[in-house]
Amino acid sequence: MEYVGLLILLAIMLVIGLVVVFLNTLLGPKTPQKWDDYPYECGVPLYDKNVQTTFHQGYYLLGLLLLLFDIEAAFLFPWTIVYRYLGIFGFIEMFLFVLILTCGLLYAWKKKAIDWQFEIEEM
Amino acid sequence: MIIDVIIALGKIAVVLLVGLGLGAYLTWVERKVAGHIQARMGPSVVGPFGLFQPIADGVKLLTKESIIPRGADVPVYYLALILALVPSLLIFSVIPFGPSFTIFGKEIKPIISDVNIGLLIVFAMGSIAVYGTIFAGWASNSKYAFIGSLRKAAVIVSYEVVLGFAVLGVILIAGSLSTVEIVNSQIEKGIWYIVYQPVAFILYLFCMLAESGRVPFDIQEAEAELVTGYNVEYGGMRFGLFPLAEWYLNVVGLSAIAVVLFFGGWSGPNIFGPLSPYIWFLVKTFALVFFTLWLHWTLPRFQAKDITDIAWKILLPIALLNVVVTAFVVYLFS
Repeated sequence: MEYVGLLILLAIMLVIGLVVVFLNTLLGPKTPQKWDDYPYECGVPLYDKNVQTTFHQGYYLLGLLLLLFDIEAAFLFPWTIVYRYLGIFGFIEMFLFVLILTCGLLYAWKKKAIDWQFEIEEM
Repeated sequence: MIIDVIIALGKIAVVLLVGLGLGAYLTWVERKVAGHIQARMGPSVVGPFGLFQPIADGVKLLTKESIIPRGADVPVYYLALILALVPSLLIFSVIPFGPSFTIFGKEIKPIISDVNIGLLIVFAMGSIAVYGTIFAGWASNSKYAFIGSLRKAAVIVSYEVVLGFAVLGVILIAGSLSTVEIVNSQIEKGIWYIVYQPVAFILYLFCMLAESGRVPFDIQEAEAELVTGYNVEYGGMRFGLFPLAEWYLNVVGLSAIAVVLFFGGWSGPNIFGPLSPYIWFLVKTFALVFFTLWLHWTLPRFQAKDITDIAWKILLPIALLNVVVTAFVVYLFS
């Protein structure tokens, strides 16, 4: 029952979002010109016509790390709720879990996965 | 049943009016604050003290021509807007503005949905907002937008992890994920959790600035190199939506959650009569929002490299240590 408010808000927000998205098409002037829709590139012709290609691998590694650590954080959320009923068992169990997690972090650190992998400019 | 839905609608109307109105007027607040920090006047022409400036800006944005960049991925281009706006307002659905009160024998809670997973909803919405950023950059077919969105995504995913571990300490002490329960436990104990969890609060501040793209973590915007980042190819109100969602709604939402977690929510001395809890909540929230604005117009920004380094090499180990130490202390004293 408590989720009804959330769902109603979600529906209203979707409607507001759609309205705002298409409001400019309704209200704005319609005077299309040749270079109106040209993507921004400092006033010079586009170097690449299509930029939806490859990107730097460092971002991909960060995504992988997020998956690892965020899922493990998700494991810890329920544990925090029941912690007071678990006693010493809960503490040791969690300690081992975080220890393994830290080993993972140290491994990623050692493998330079969390160093931002910008190429060093060769002067 | 019908009455419940009507009450829910009333609460939603209030939250929408307050949320969107504040979002619009925070632009005026920000420009005034920025102006005075930089020894300027800020907006002062449209209306008294420039108070009608947001309305003028809104009308201007709404009457711009609708332009979609050449070669853009149109459905994704629109989807990005909705994915950016909707989650940032859904955060407000789990923020408790005050204690529950009774009117005509019916108990009313000033929160849209008092669920027992309130904090998880906040983090889920924060994570969904990343898709808005990535889609916006990918769909606009512009290099500046694409680079900006990738940088922003990298910042958010790094600080998302730290945020998750930082709040674990507070949840351990409160023993609940519900925002109302956390505030109530602080009032019962008569102490704000910032006293128990100062480290977690500092980590949370870092994450709040990073998640909402504020200085010193605003590399996705970086006016000098990327124009304005992932929303450079949007025009009119579509362009206005991204800063509204990211800079204003997100900052207010995350500040309110910080108040709930660390500053005792609506608790405070009863000096404003029956409205006292609401006023205290708003005062605390806006103190944090003002702090964010203050930082924004004072500090320079980090490099991309430094930002991920800070998140993974400094903040994450501290957050892990904080969780272990808190768990140990809670075990000793319970």
